[in-house]
This record gives sequence, C-alpha cells and structure tokens, in this order.
Amino acid sequence: MTDTGEDMRSYARPQTLDEAIGLLAQGQHRILAGGTDLYPSAGMQLDGDVLDLTAIPALSGVTHGAGLRIGACTTWTAIAEADLPPALRCLQQAARQVGGRQVQNAGTIGGNLCNASPAADGVPPLLALDAVVELSGPGGTRQVPLTHFLTGPRQTLRATDEVLTAVILPDAALYGQSSFEKLGARAYLVISIAMVAARIQVTNGQITKAAIAVGACSGVAQRLPAAEAALTGAPVAEAAARVRAADVATALSPIDDVRASASYRIVAATELVRRAVTGALA
Amino acid sequence: MQISLDINGSLRDVYLDPRTTLLDALRSHLGLTGTKKGCDHGQCGACTVLLDGRRVNACLTLACMAQGAKVTTIEGLGSSDALSPLQAQFLNHDGFQCGFCTPGQICSATAMLEELAAGWPSHASTDLEGPFPLSHAEIAERMSGNLCRCAAYSNIVDAIQNAAKDGDAK
Ligand SMILES: Cc1cc2nc3c(=O)[nH]c(=O)nc-3n(C[C@H](O)[C@H](O)[C@H](O)COP(=O)(O)OP(=O)(O)OC[C@H]3O[C@@H](n4cnc5c(N)ncnc54)[C@H](O)[C@@H]3O)c2cc1C
Ligand code: FES
Ligand code: FES
Repeated sequence: MTDTGEDMRSYARPQTLDEAIGLLAQGQHRILAGGTDLYPSAGMQLDGDVLDLTAIPALSGVTHGAGLRIGACTTWTAIAEADLPPALRCLQQAARQVGGRQVQNAGTIGGNLCNASPAADGVPPLLALDAVVELSGPGGTRQVPLTHFLTGPRQTLRATDEVLTAVILPDAALYGQSSFEKLGARAYLVISIAMVAARIQVTNGQITKAAIAVGACSGVAQRLPAAEAALTGAPVAEAAARVRAADVATALSPIDDVRASASYRIVAATELVRRAVTGALA
Repeated sequence: MQISLDINGSLRDVYLDPRTTLLDALRSHLGLTGTKKGCDHGQCGACTVLLDGRRVNACLTLACMAQGAKVTTIEGLGSSDALSPLQAQFLNHDGFQCGFCTPGQICSATAMLEELAAGWPSHASTDLEGPFPLSHAEIAERMSGNLCRCAAYSNIVDAIQNAAKDGDAK
C-alpha cells in the first residue's frame, strides 16, 4: 500500500521483506520501525519516502536454529518476555530498562543498532554475545559482525538500500550467565553515562571465558580484552578483585560532556564491570 | 492519504498527511482531546493510548501505523456515568493535581495491570517468576514512562494499588 498524493510523501507498509527491498531498490526511503528514535513528531525527519517495516511478520521474533536469531523488528518487550538461555539475561535486563514500558512496546532492537547511538543499551549485551547482524538489499544478503557494523557515533556499514533483517548470536556465545548494569543521572528515562554487559562461563569454580563490553564511554561501545584476559582462569571468588581500572580504561576513550567527565566515566565503568561480573556469577 | 482506524470500537475514516502522528490524528482530526500532548517526544507519557491492549506513546506512532490495530483512548475506557475501576480510584484518591497527565496515567495503568495479570516481571521485580506484590517500587518502575509535573505520585500509587485490589476481589 503506497500513497503518493500531491503534497504528500509516500508511505509504504509492506507485508514482506521482498516488497520492502524492492521499494528500496527503486529509490531512497527513510526506514521506520518503532519510531522511538526517529521522533515522528519532529516532522522533517520523515520528509521524503517512508518505509514502515513493522507489518513484516518475518522480521519479528526470536528463533532457534544454528545459533539464535532475533528479528530486527523484535520489540524490547518481546525480548524481555521471551524464554531465552541464561547467557542472554544481560540483553533481557537491558530490554527492561530502555525507556519506559511505552517505549519498550514500540522500540526495536534493529532500530537501536541502526540509530547507532554511543549510549544504545542494546549494544554492550550484543557485543558480549558476539552478535552478527544480517543485512538484506537488492544485491543479496550479507552478515557482518556487530563490531564492524558500528563504525562510529551514529554511523554504520548499512548501505541506504539495505534493511537490517536480524541479529544472529552464534551457538558458541549462548553459554554461561550474564548480567547488565547501567548508570544514569536518574533511574528512569535518561541517557546512560555508562553501561556494561558481562557474560561469564565457569567450570569447576574457575572462569573459563569472560566477555565484557562497555557502552557510552567511547564513540562505539567496546569489548574489554585486557579485563577479559585478567578474569580468565580466575577462581570465582577472586573475580571482582581482578577487575582493574587500568584494564578497563585501555579499551575506552571516554568524553567529557554535560552528563559526566571522562575520569568519572572510567571510575564508574570499572565499578559497573565489577557489579556486572558479580551479577553474572550470582 | 485516506486511512481507517478502529478507535474505541468504532471505525473512523480520516484523510491526513502520512506523517501525522496518532496523537495529532486523535486530537485534531477526530476530536478526541482526552489524549494529551505534553512533550511530543516520547518522554512524558501524557499521550499514552492502547494499541491492541499494549500501551504506546501516540506521539511516537504514525496514525497510518495504527491501521489494523484496535486503538483505545481514555474516552474508550469509561465515561462519567460508567467509570473504569482505575478512573474511579483516581477520583477516590485524588490521583492528580492539574489533571493533565491523568488520561495517560490511567491508560498506562490499565495496560500495566493487564501485564501484571499476565505475569510479566519488571526491572524492579526481585523474583522474575512472580508473584509481583504491587509495592511502591514495582509501581514506580512499571509507571516510569508517565511523568506528573504536579508530582501527584503518592496519590497515583494509592489509586493504582486500590484499583488492583478491586480487580483481585472480583
Ligand atoms: C523516552 C525515550 C527513552 C529512551 N530510552 C532509551 C534507553 O534507555 N536506552 C536506549 O538504548 N535507547 C533509548 N531510547 C531510544 C530508542 O527507544 C531505542 O534506541 C529503540 O530501540 C529504537 O528503535 P525503533 O524501532 O524505535 O527505531 P526507529 O526510531 O524506528 O529507527 C531508528 C533508526 O534506525 C533506522 N532503522 C530502524 N530499523 C531499521 C532496520 N531494520 N533496518 C535499517 N534501518 C533501520 C531508522 O531509519 C532510523 O534511522 C529512548 C527513546 C525515548 C523516546
Ligand atoms: S506527548 Fe507523547 S510522551 Fe509526551
Ligand atoms: S496532575 Fe498535573 S501533571 Fe500530573
């Protein structure tokens, strides 16, 4: 259903991905999912042709197969309510903290990634889960690791004629337990100062694998290889003590802004890493 | 463009620019001014309506996106002769000062009590399996998308707690 009245922009709400890609091949469209980052009320954002993805059933929901596939238009509410392995607890905890319930009912994981805010709450959990994104366009479908997909603040590798169709979590990343911690100036409806996701695997009381990612402390959220290495092999009881500010800081490049100073962000991120690691081990 | 919306159980045809938000469609095109515009940016919750029973911010939803869904606004929840349980309890407990946020609070709380009945935990729930006693902290967390500039929060919480009790008693 496309409408092209005189003064009006076209608005399309296709039911299939093929139709959506066909429209993108014909010319540039502004893609719309939950609309919670686009602010439809800001009018100008939606000048031009709009392609609404929310009526395409194949883009919503979580499916198990080779790994776990989360459709790009899956809402935060659907992620929070899904029955998922403990490794994904960090993602579900983040889902329950994206804005209020009204925002969680509309906002999607794909919108969060394509908007590519440094403070996007979905990113650290997905980095800790080794996520790969799937992009489909007229030229076909490709998969890109999330670390490559996000190229800078509000910048991604997505071509203008591509739809982000799914986030894929490889089988190997579905092990262990995880936790998410977020710090804002207030409890609700604020942009995060720092947020952390940690996924930990333990065998016989020893950490065998640690995946830790920090957001809002660099242009793009980062994994913390030094902190992960320091935890690997540690007895569970020593985990918190092995989290050192220096290991956290090396991976990050925090900015001074109205929300917090760079040095405060490092102190905060280190404490959040400690809490997330402890939370994952609980 | 011409669209047809199912609002409070009746089908309404309306001709609008596709960029029109559901909020503007309700208020300016359909004469349903119970739904309020506070921020127009998803932050205050004054525009909360139910889409197929789920609460959303009407200011972040395009009217065309609501086609095919059942839209419920404050006007559809009850009337002055037949108040919904939440509407009645907001009156009993003075759950407002100026009243501007109230329609959004009541629509939001209506969906919130349904979520609770369906066993959905919140970020504040200590046990994800439930049950979820409606403590002050649970209500504050679950209603965090609705601000009240008059800070009538304590009375809003009382109203919701009592409406939940009415529901349990039934
Ligand atoms: C009050 C409020 C509070 C918020 N709080 C938080 C918070 O705590 N944490 C947080 O991370 N975010 C927060 N947000 C931001 C937002 O809700 C999330 O980022 C949400 O996940 C965005 O998803 P969406 O579907 O609404 O995106 P949309 O607004 O529909 O789209 C966002 C961008 O991505 C593009 N896009 C969307 N889907 C696709 C796709 N499948 N393929 C290609 N391009 C696509 C759009 O063109 C647009 O540029 C908040 C927003 C509001 C209004
Ligand atoms: S008017 Fe929609 S949330 Fe404020
Ligand atoms: S009663 Fe005035 S804003 Fe809530």
